[in-house]
Amino acid sequence: MRPRPPAMRTKRRYILARILPYEVQVDQKQVYLAVIEAATSLLGDAASGLAQPAVVFCEGGYVVVRCRRGTEKDIAVALATVTAVGDERIALRTVATSGTIHALRRRMRPIRHLSGDGEVKIGETYFAVYRYPRQKVDLVEKGIKHQKSLFFTEGDLEER
Amino acid sequence: MKITDAGIHPYPAGDSTVARMALEAGGLGFDSVVVIGDAAHRSSGVEVLRGAVIGASSVKEVLKRVRDPAVRRADIVYVDAGDISFNRAIVSIKEVNVVRSIHATRRNAFDHVAARTASEHGVAVDISMAPIIHLRGTKRQRALQRYADVLSLQRRYGFPLTISSDARSILGQRSVREIRGLCALFGMTGAEVTEALSSIGRIVEPHRPVRVVE
Repeated sequence: MRPRPPAMRTKRRYILARILPYEVQVDQKQVYLAVIEAATSLLGDAASGLAQPAVVFCEGGYVVVRCRRGTEKDIAVALATVTAVGDERIALRTVATSGTIHALRRRMRPIRHLSGDGEVKIGETYFAVYRYPRQKVDLVEKGIKHQKSLFFTEGDLEER
Repeated sequence: MKITDAGIHPYPAGDSTVARMALEAGGLGFDSVVVIGDAAHRSSGVEVLRGAVIGASSVKEVLKRVRDPAVRRADIVYVDAGDISFNRAIVSIKEVNVVRSIHATRRNAFDHVAARTASEHGVAVDISMAPIIHLRGTKRQRALQRYADVLSLQRRYGFPLTISSDARSILGQRSVREIRGLCALFGMTGAEVTEALSSIGRIVEPHRPVRVVE
């Protein structure tokens, strides 16, 4: 099939969002389902259908969401209402909107994972420690499923 | 003009400490946050104010609770909204700064009489982002209706509004830009959002005529 000439193609916009917490691993399809659910429940079937949201890729703690030009603000608001992907509690922080994925890739800063991980006991529970820049420390409960996460700083950890 | 998140609930009520939430708030474009509860924190760029919430069923109980030492220590005193007569009464109490949980009340619980009294006494009404972010379906629709109603009263009577994330985790905090988008859902303009986000600063340090000190 012959592709449409460029002037007749639908104009698209791409939204870059950071996935929080940093250590969470999410599947692209699960993110897509969460975004569609959030957009549909907030904007309705008609508006989200016209916006044509889609997840282009999901890697390195970032997700790129595609939509029609002119609907990027609505989709960005819908992204703010995403609270979970599958069973994982997450948040999507919109970083930038652009007309090309290439421009967004330049805005993607790799999330640096600092050394010094270990484990800590809070109450009766053991937590794995993940350290990040700006003294951020994420604690993930040790276990197989439905682990609780706590978000501390180095100072908070030292006080315990 | 300080951009303030008017309500966060840190650890142990939530899963993130005050320091971490303040750090995140700074990254999201806030100058200060109001911590609900008794969590002390040394400042690290973002100013941390102390807030106390009074959840009472009668005005008499509110009058009793505002004299508590914990409430007197707080920078901002919040009262959970209730029925129409309760709301009309609490907005005239001098110690009360903000009426919150307005989305959980009945349709006309905060009416034009309460709005006029709130305007006269400088009592603010809090708009929480949590129902818009976390609720779905009719519950969220009802919250949006209540906020649109409060906004129409605010435009008429001019009482202050505050905006809070009501976050119990860093995952519940939203940036100023995202809050602007969420508030646009019930018709709030960008200028109104900016004014509402800076209301806490005006409550803590109200504009007063200059006094000459001898």
